[in-house]
Amino acid sequence: MKQLYAFIIRRVVSTIPVMAFVALFVFSLLYVAPGDPASIIAGDHATPADIERIRQSLGLDRPYLVRFGEWVMRVLQGDLGNSIFSSVPVAQQIAQRIEPTLSLMIMTLVIAVVVAVPIGVVSAWLAGTWVDRLFVGFAVLGFSIPVFVVGYLLAYVFALQLQWLPVQGYTPLSNGFLPWLRNLILPSLSLGAVYIALIARITRATMLEVLGQDYIRTAEAKGVSRRSILFVHALKNASIPVITVVGVGVALLIGGAVVTESVFAIPGLGRLTLDAVLRRDYPVIQGVILVFSFAYVIVNLIVDIIYTIVDPRIRY
Amino acid sequence: MNAPTAQDILPAGRRSSRTAAWFERYVRRHPPVAVGLALLGMMLVIAILAPVLWTVDPSAISATKRTRVPSELNWFGTDMLGRDIYSRVVYGARISLLVGFLVAVLASAIGLAIGLFSGFVRWADGIVMRIVDGMMSIPPVLLAIALMTLTGGTVTNVVIAITIAEIPRVVRLVRGIVLSLREQPYVEAAVACGAGAPRIIAKHILPNTLAPMTVQATYICASAMIVEAILSFIGAGVPPSIPTWGNIMAEGRALWQVRPHIVFFPALFLSLTVLAVNLLGDGLRDSLDPRLAKRI
Repeated sequence: MKQLYAFIIRRVVSTIPVMAFVALFVFSLLYVAPGDPASIIAGDHATPADIERIRQSLGLDRPYLVRFGEWVMRVLQGDLGNSIFSSVPVAQQIAQRIEPTLSLMIMTLVIAVVVAVPIGVVSAWLAGTWVDRLFVGFAVLGFSIPVFVVGYLLAYVFALQLQWLPVQGYTPLSNGFLPWLRNLILPSLSLGAVYIALIARITRATMLEVLGQDYIRTAEAKGVSRRSILFVHALKNASIPVITVVGVGVALLIGGAVVTESVFAIPGLGRLTLDAVLRRDYPVIQGVILVFSFAYVIVNLIVDIIYTIVDPRIRY
Repeated sequence: MNAPTAQDILPAGRRSSRTAAWFERYVRRHPPVAVGLALLGMMLVIAILAPVLWTVDPSAISATKRTRVPSELNWFGTDMLGRDIYSRVVYGARISLLVGFLVAVLASAIGLAIGLFSGFVRWADGIVMRIVDGMMSIPPVLLAIALMTLTGGTVTNVVIAITIAEIPRVVRLVRGIVLSLREQPYVEAAVACGAGAPRIIAKHILPNTLAPMTVQATYICASAMIVEAILSFIGAGVPPSIPTWGNIMAEGRALWQVRPHIVFFPALFLSLTVLAVNLLGDGLRDSLDPRLAKRI
């Protein structure tokens, strides 16, 4: 147990340099961004002296590392600066937009795991048959069709033609579970296509490896049922790489969310990123990248810790 | 372009019956590779021959012919400015293939150099890997978006931004190979015989990196084409004046519910091209590394 705690502490500490790099990158983004904030704030009729005064009052004349240090201190206090356009604090904008994005991602995660793991298991069990080939083919398709193409395709068929689900928009969870769910199904399926392909593929690969092990043959020999072999003996042992891929794949989800939210008009963080990019609103871009990257690092930290606890074979 | 297309290989293969037999056997054993090669070759031909494939000027605006549905005159219809979508899609193949190919080559070459450096120079390894960890903690699409907002939207900048976002993966792959090879008895023997780093890299490391690098490069190519389309789609990529598949879709976005064809055709071409590259990558992986083929 002591060893486990030591591992967790070491793993948490190891994220510090990573986060420091992300912070430095994100800070540099604003530092080298075109356009002088002082002259933007000063307006069109400002004299050079005015601009200089504003620059000094904002601390923009101080050295890079000093400004980085000050910026980190502000970020740690939850201050991400203000939007160039609306002057609204970036942290407040992000907080308002987190619910739709978080809903979309959790929903995608749930759908992906529920769909992909059985596909991977069946595919491995029937390896080489036409069912397996079909699933593998679908996985390649899932990797190849860009997320917005899947989005438009699903929206066209299920929302425009069949009218089973809303075309676009988002309903907060506070307005009821069902309306929330109805709005999320199509976006989650589109965002999940790549993710399903990824997880199904890894599940199939690791299942194939595990099914070749001696203890599976032993289980078969002593008459354990097929279903029990697949889901108890094999899947349990194949789940470690699958959990890892679920964590790593979150990067795909974050990139895809920007696109999915614009296809389905969901007012989330991705939509915020898109608007900020179009307006070159650097403080907002900075804030969103910072939040997404930290979320990604923390998800992978949690995944690492979970599978160390789940799998006693992993040494720490 | 170094990638051989089906068109290149077929006639060459007929010249000598032995290569023809080999090629036939290869295709029969790896049908996905054949399909991928054929599709990719078709796209390549389309991109190169764009001006003579019954296209008109892809930027020609016509106020009287706006948002037409596909017809004999405009095979894929027209967009909201009256531009011919067929011509735009055909010319768009050029940008996608160019970006995919350049990013694959550049990211592989730079990643290989950094990976070798990191694998051989002990003191640099820690620093390089921390930077790589840091870069990999920023989702690639976001990293590319961030870099694009700093610079102007040109094809060169798109290639640079996506390349930077793809490099860390190659570095990890190459470094992993170097570290595992260094433990191999034959490399240790070479070191014991007094072989220097350049000789070990050339004789032992590079030949062993070639197969996984080729496979990785195809996947990078596929990923780069998707990221390019995403960048164009959200308005952070190639300027709208240049027809790319992402740009055509971005312009069709507002009208997709009434005129879905504007989005449909570039989407179809993009998906087919990425599919072709992925099939090629899977096929290469299976034939270059039979051990992996059994597993995945």
